[in-house]
Amino acid sequence: MALIERFQKTTDIGYWEGQIPMNYIYTVGRAGEKFFREIMNGKIFGAKCDVCNIIYVPPRTYCEKCFARLEDSYVEVGTKGTVHTFTQCYETFDGMKKEAPSLVAVIRIDGTDGGLVHWLGEVDFKKVYIGMPVEAVFKAKKDREGSILDIKYFKPTK
Amino acid sequence: MRRVAIVGAGMTKFYRNAQETSKELAYEATKMALDSCEMKLSDIDCVTIGSAPDAFDGVHMKGEYLSDGSGAFRKPVMRHFVGGGTGVLSPAHGWFMVASGMFDTCLVVAEEKMSCAYPHPAGAFITIFDHTTEQALYPTLIYIFAIEMNRFMTTHGYRKEDIALVAVKNKKNALDHPCAQLPGEVTVEDVLNSEIMAYPVNRLDISPTSDGAACMILAAEHVARRVTEKPIWLDGVGWCLDTAYWCTRDLYYPDYLEVAARQAYKMAGIKEPSKEIHIAEPYDPFTYKELHHIEGLLLAPRGKSVQMLVDGHFNRDGNLPCSPSGGLLGVGNPIAAAGLMKVIELYLQLKGTAGKRQVPGNPTCGVANAWGDLMQVGTVVVLRS
Repeated sequence: MALIERFQKTTDIGYWEGQIPMNYIYTVGRAGEKFFREIMNGKIFGAKCDVCNIIYVPPRTYCEKCFARLEDSYVEVGTKGTVHTFTQCYETFDGMKKEAPSLVAVIRIDGTDGGLVHWLGEVDFKKVYIGMPVEAVFKAKKDREGSILDIKYFKPTK
Repeated sequence: MRRVAIVGAGMTKFYRNAQETSKELAYEATKMALDSCEMKLSDIDCVTIGSAPDAFDGVHMKGEYLSDGSGAFRKPVMRHFVGGGTGVLSPAHGWFMVASGMFDTCLVVAEEKMSCAYPHPAGAFITIFDHTTEQALYPTLIYIFAIEMNRFMTTHGYRKEDIALVAVKNKKNALDHPCAQLPGEVTVEDVLNSEIMAYPVNRLDISPTSDGAACMILAAEHVARRVTEKPIWLDGVGWCLDTAYWCTRDLYYPDYLEVAARQAYKMAGIKEPSKEIHIAEPYDPFTYKELHHIEGLLLAPRGKSVQMLVDGHFNRDGNLPCSPSGGLLGVGNPIAAAGLMKVIELYLQLKGTAGKRQVPGNPTCGVANAWGDLMQVGTVVVLRS
């Protein structure tokens, strides 16, 4: 096998440092506009497809199954849900060790088919279980800026 | 449609940091594949290239960049990309070219060089998540797979120490693979005691990041009969994408794979996969994924794969050898190249030329799959001797 491992020092052999210099401004989209404006009000919205009997959370402008248009079918879905599955993560998104692990879950919002991935708070990792009832905890109203981070985390429902 | 054969294959060693550039890696694998069946570049009608995100190699429009190293100079060339599922879509893409009657021969090249991206190629994945509802939470691939593993384990009552046997088996199998990056004798305790990455995933539950390339040569029947005494037939291809809204899926079962597998089985005329398939290369970037995929490929009933693993069913000398190559856990995981490596393993096994890795019993039918994107793409191929 002719292949050899890469040299790791510039003095051993030449390599070139580079980057793909590009930044992005993503639009939230038409359904996202509804979702995030309502998040600022402390509400979570979904979109209902009456044909397929599905409630998508976050809302979408169309049903991916039957292709119906859903822009007139946004519905408020409450702020409570259940832990569908969860993990405690020790690595940052770019593969470094985290200072403190983060507790992450997929939350199935009650009465819907949709889920949000978010942090869990006010609970110890060892106490979390699949099926645990939780609710969204929002930032103070003045601090909200139309972001998924306007929800601070989900906490166990008392 | 015409029957399509595999007549040659080649691959590079898989490395953490290969010195070769991406196109040099592609060249090494392609050259080896051509030499394996004594074909020349002038015998090749077209080329398909599989490679996962441009962000790994850091070269935008990587297909064009790789084309000369892939033998595509002034030839019809097309790149395909479905994330981690790419490497098993590669032979399917080549199959279209030859089965359609448009071309008699096709080079199928898969390459990945993950070491260019730093501090870690995992960072490239942040932009596959929804930019407004997920990226702000800095999701990582490891944590979404940990989330899936937790759901899979909890639903079936699987124990972590049993799932760890996949790493033990595959890393051991890889000891016999000349291209392997992380072969070894490890124990269940080694897996359980390795560094925790994201509960329930430990370091040894995960395949490494790698650099490498693989290549396979496809030919129409009349060419294949001329080139080799024992063509291996690409008899079934299937692929499927589940919803990109991964949080809406149950995650305990890979529906994306069952749909793709049924498509491939139907095409290959397979009615009872668990009886008709002799050897499998289920996609194993994580330990649990091999079992998840064995169930999705309909090779084990839902909830029963772990017991079969514990009973030795999936060992190289078991009833259904799984990942006899050593898999991604043992051989390494240069994404697209790793998927094609698994198909190449089936090719070598069915041809009876897998050397020390050869499974007993003269297998005549094998299946491989890969998986990727936001955990929702399934790609499947069925090979026969």
